[in-house]
Amino acid sequence: MSRTTQGLGPTTPPIRRTEVDGIRTVLTAASGPVTAGLLFRVGVADETLATTGITHLVEHLALHRHGLSDLHYNGATGVTYTLFHATGTPEEVVTYLNGVCAALRDLPLERLETEREILRTEAAGRSRRPGHQLPLWRYGAQGYGLSSYGEHGTWHLTADAVRDWAYTRFTRDNAVLWITTDTVPQGLDLTLPAGVPRPLPAPTSALPVTPAYITGGGGGVVMDGIVRRSTAASLFAEVLRRALFTDLRQKGGYSYTADADYSPRDNEFATVTAFADALPSKQDAVVGGFVDVLARLRAGSIGQAELESARAKVLKQYDTPDVTAAQLPSHALNLLTGHSNLTEHEHRAELAGVTPDDLREVARELHSTALLQVPGRGADWAGFTAAPQWSTDTPTAPGTRHPSLEDGSTLLTVAPDAVSLTTPAGQVVIRYDACAALLVHPDGGRHLTGLDGFLIRVEPTLYKGLTPDRTAVIDAAVPAAAVVRMPPRDPDGIPRPERRSRVRRTAASRLGALFGRRRG
Amino acid sequence: MSRTAPPIRAEFDPCVTIPSLADLRGALRDDDWGTVEAYFEFIGHEDDRAVAAGVVDRLSTSQRFLERAVATQPRSALARTLLARRYIVIGWDIRSAYTAEHVSREQFQQFHGWLRRAEQLLIDVCAEHPAYAMAWAARLTTARGLQLGLSEVRRRYERLAEHHPHHISAQSSLLQRLCPKWGGSWEEAHAFVRTCLESAPPGSHAGRLVAEVHLERWLDDSDINPSDYLRSAEVRDEILAAAARSVQHPDYRPGFDWIGDHNTFAGALCLGGHHREAAPFFRTLGNKATESPWHHVGDKEVQFLKHRRTALAKG
Repeated sequence: MSRTTQGLGPTTPPIRRTEVDGIRTVLTAASGPVTAGLLFRVGVADETLATTGITHLVEHLALHRHGLSDLHYNGATGVTYTLFHATGTPEEVVTYLNGVCAALRDLPLERLETEREILRTEAAGRSRRPGHQLPLWRYGAQGYGLSSYGEHGTWHLTADAVRDWAYTRFTRDNAVLWITTDTVPQGLDLTLPAGVPRPLPAPTSALPVTPAYITGGGGGVVMDGIVRRSTAASLFAEVLRRALFTDLRQKGGYSYTADADYSPRDNEFATVTAFADALPSKQDAVVGGFVDVLARLRAGSIGQAELESARAKVLKQYDTPDVTAAQLPSHALNLLTGHSNLTEHEHRAELAGVTPDDLREVARELHSTALLQVPGRGADWAGFTAAPQWSTDTPTAPGTRHPSLEDGSTLLTVAPDAVSLTTPAGQVVIRYDACAALLVHPDGGRHLTGLDGFLIRVEPTLYKGLTPDRTAVIDAAVPAAAVVRMPPRDPDGIPRPERRSRVRRTAASRLGALFGRRRG
Repeated sequence: MSRTAPPIRAEFDPCVTIPSLADLRGALRDDDWGTVEAYFEFIGHEDDRAVAAGVVDRLSTSQRFLERAVATQPRSALARTLLARRYIVIGWDIRSAYTAEHVSREQFQQFHGWLRRAEQLLIDVCAEHPAYAMAWAARLTTARGLQLGLSEVRRRYERLAEHHPHHISAQSSLLQRLCPKWGGSWEEAHAFVRTCLESAPPGSHAGRLVAEVHLERWLDDSDINPSDYLRSAEVRDEILAAAARSVQHPDYRPGFDWIGDHNTFAGALCLGGHHREAAPFFRTLGNKATESPWHHVGDKEVQFLKHRRTALAKG
């Protein structure tokens, strides 16, 4: 080896802590242009289903004035943080950051309508990543589960709501700045309102039993699980990635892509996600191979060679120049959430200490919390339990009953405390006081999503006797904060009952469109 | 009675036809796990282990015995695999051998329940011992019963064949899945048999798969009346050629499978009316019989004896 392994030498300049206009700041010098990032502890998980997209709107509005420029800059809204970053000369970076903060102090809200539309257009064109549904099944339609959903807020959020969000979340006390210079560049003015550091949202649960499974998706297999944050767990994700690739692609030829990822969820836990796509004729083999790879890592042998090559890959990060600068963003993020940072020395020591047994322990933890999405038939054969398809709640008060005009065995009930949909197979209940969002369509349609992620589409065109005075019961009972007023629907978008003869054939798919747990 | 006259009873009990299996059954009845373990250790060949496991599977007292063995030796691959195999048999007995439309919903639920229990054990055994043939072979059966799809059954076979490329009971099991009754096709079934035969060394058990696939096709055809399928000279010649490469080849290693091999060849020939050609197989067998294929056409003993009498009279 050409360098010392302990990393105590001159190769790792320290990260310096300071403050800029009351914002916690970390600095370290790097070669080349300057990169800076301004992080705020607010993201999608802090929103509600009715306000999803509000953080993204603030981010867009804050960057609007930058318009077209040669400067490499961008903004990103994550699950638990929002980032503004730029790379260029010190002067360019200063101009960018000053501009972001000026805009945050005084958002160009005259642009709100336009930016809402831009976000809706962006969403329509965005391809969803594999497994995007997993959070809603795990957490429901709140907190960390909101990353599964579209941005309802872009339909209705007012200037006051957006201004208030910026004023309370994008504050100097809820931010961390990092810059790849050894001193704070001249001319920064990052004045922001005072606020409070926002704690990470507490995880919610919509998954009573794990390991669990759901069916669906585009033919591939995707799984996530929650493990304690550790060096061993991050190393495990690399071992898992290689094992999936070897078994499913190289050996079996069932998949083209096989991947795994470790990403911290909060200060205590991380999400490990694994994915393998499948050739259409090989879907069953991919599910089987996936289950067996996980079983081997959990119950079988993890070779020393597997561990070593994963370790070597992780250690590679220390072979790049400007190691410290490269770690600045994650260092800043930990500072933002209050998680400790390892020094290179500590990290190397932890890496060196990881044993195959430690990895097996992570694999067991992953398996015990796993949520697996498989195409076609289920995964009960492999010891996974179906995620709840029906509510456990029952309405407490009696209500008016509205049979489906398509399918006599389906009944919608509008009660003073809840809406429920009863089918021969089970019941979905959404209590008004646990309603995450109520989409109000001017034509009378009402779409309710419960905090547990269940969805009922109340369509006057599809149920008998569902008159305006009945939907008015829903409107009056759902908390105002959950109400999303929608623009008029395209006439083709308003459902019409299908003729009886067709209903029998399509009942299952139609029912799926009327309720279930899916993205609203 | 002349010394060459064949006995008038057929012997179906493998513990009589293969005497060393009697020791295994004795150990099972004596609740003697140590001897069972030593027995499987002692058998040198995977094909023979599969036959021996069949003796354990069919014994109704095995379940409790094996559950106790797993409780005391939770890491034992053998105990878990044998227990899983017993669960599969229990499930299959509930399902019955009828075609799917004659099996009730309740039966299917119980059947799948047993197979899932088996599969949980086998997933772990295969994870811990990727080369453990008996567990992989059992997973071919669970995958078939749980309707996991052909690509998954093939994947399991490939994991097994990686370490045991000519495992006859696994090949037989995959062949079942490739037949139309389990959603396969005759093209796939024949192609698989061909591949097994061509890749196997001379004198292997794989020749028997040729007789099996023809028997399956004949059974499939014989819904109301016995089919003529096995009567064709082409099918007969294919079966005879397979026998020449297999049980009649000088390199043939009889093992525990020889009785099954010979019964299968004899059956496929007799059911096509080729009794003269079946005679040599019966002469080797004497009174040693296996359930298959005779149970398909009536009382297994009556059928075995009837066809043997005809064959020995002609050949």
